[in-house]
Amino acid sequence: MIPARANRIQLAVVMLLLVTLHFYVRPRLWGPRVSPDFLMVGLMLFAMRSGPGASAVAGFLVGLAADSLTPARFGAGALAHTVVAYVASWARAVFFADNLLVNAAFVAVGVWLRDFLVLLVSGSGDRPVLTELAVYSPLQALSSALFALVVLLAFREWFSIRLDA
Amino acid sequence: MGSASERSYTRRDTVLFLVCLGLSLFGVFSPASWGQSLSAGLRETVLWPLVWLQVRAEEGKTSRVRLRAITAQRDSASYLVQGLPSLLAENDRLRQLLSLSRRLRTRYVAAEVLHQSQATDGRTLLLSAGSREGVSAFDPVVAPEGLVGVVLNVAERSSIVMTWAHPEFRVSAFTVTGNAAGVVAPSAAGEGGLEFRGVPYRDSVPVGALVLSSGLGGVYPKGIPVGSVTGVVREQAGWERVYRLQPAANPGSAGHVLVLLAPGGDLGRAFPSDSALEAQRLDSLERLRVADSVAQAARDARARRADSIAVIRRDTTRVPPRRIVRPDTAGAARPSTVAPSKPAPSTPPAPAPPAPVPGPPGAAPGDTAR
Repeated sequence: MIPARANRIQLAVVMLLLVTLHFYVRPRLWGPRVSPDFLMVGLMLFAMRSGPGASAVAGFLVGLAADSLTPARFGAGALAHTVVAYVASWARAVFFADNLLVNAAFVAVGVWLRDFLVLLVSGSGDRPVLTELAVYSPLQALSSALFALVVLLAFREWFSIRLDA
Repeated sequence: MGSASERSYTRRDTVLFLVCLGLSLFGVFSPASWGQSLSAGLRETVLWPLVWLQVRAEEGKTSRVRLRAITAQRDSASYLVQGLPSLLAENDRLRQLLSLSRRLRTRYVAAEVLHQSQATDGRTLLLSAGSREGVSAFDPVVAPEGLVGVVLNVAERSSIVMTWAHPEFRVSAFTVTGNAAGVVAPSAAGEGGLEFRGVPYRDSVPVGALVLSSGLGGVYPKGIPVGSVTGVVREQAGWERVYRLQPAANPGSAGHVLVLLAPGGDLGRAFPSDSALEAQRLDSLERLRVADSVAQAARDARARRADSIAVIRRDTTRVPPRRIVRPDTAGAARPSTVAPSKPAPSTPPAPAPPAPVPGPPGAAPGDTAR
């Protein structure tokens, strides 16, 4: 059994890696609107192994950072990330099985739901919301899920997640 | 039923969630200026490392794109530079052709030479002009430098030219000085040049003499440069000399030519020789020199005139020093200029007035020498 301190360090390393990928690698990718949301992947992975309260706080902080770095309506990102992280933590504990593809789909649904809440609270027009939710958000959710799959396969021991691949 | 710790854990999660939710809603419904100032504060402090990281990433991406653009520009510039000499040469050649077309008094058709990648390309040329443009067989083909050949075969949109390199090419020619006539044909030795054959033994042609078409035979008009003499090839039995010619025009490098449609007359003025061009150039230089000398003479004359005027003004405005003359000597010295011509009075002679002293205007009243 891995000690709790080492577990936290491993988790911090993975999160640091994801943050670096999000802010240093993601701008260089070919499609910023459909490329993986590394922060959201990290938040979902954190929510899958943490309690709802901690997930809500983490979601709030991630959302606050997103609100500060994007010109959307302030607070919308914080609200969306908080809700998604809290629900993900509860849902992971109650509904989802320890299956690799189910966990990846779990990340995809979280990304899409986050986008939906952000657009809803931001008060964008109907057509941009529909386009975003029907085209770009699913593509970004898919790419994020694929990347989450890779992370889960690579760091399954560190996350202490039992996966039935 | 969960334990007390589990219930407190659940309650704590709920409280945290509600607190975060409340803060988020507060951020959503708070004034925009609050959110903006808070965002700016976070960007400048906590999130600064992340912003810095993103800036570096954007710079890297932009640098990559700029590098691609600069590389493309460099490649384009290199390509242009590579093609520039050939473009300049073609431009120069087209200008020469245009100049020739202005000097020509006969009808002509400009045609493009469609070179083929064959070893015999220099012997026959394919032109882009045919019977539709009025080209017919045996029309002479010229380049700015001189004779290229004659049209051998004509189709509707193209024609074949037999150049001077063809073994069957012949043209009646004479030297530009008119002292020797003969027939120009390709070199029998296959050296790639021309031979000036049939020149009488008594007629000596100096090296460098220009050979023109003579107009005999009715195919080639008179006065088209064919080549210039570079030496003697052989002498036959003491009655004929064969000279080697440097061809005037090079069919292998010709890109555009003129097909003369109604050849006739003397085209010598359309092809000024190098000596004529040199003479024109020297004449221009002489005219320039004469004009310069005239202008210099005019400048010298103006300068001398200005000096003279300055000297005169200086003499008339300067007061020279007064010369002191004794009255008795003055009268003796200049009696005719001062004394009146009337007879002297009977009264004893009075002392003569003071001698007149030449002086400028405005001088003392006694100065009457003027």
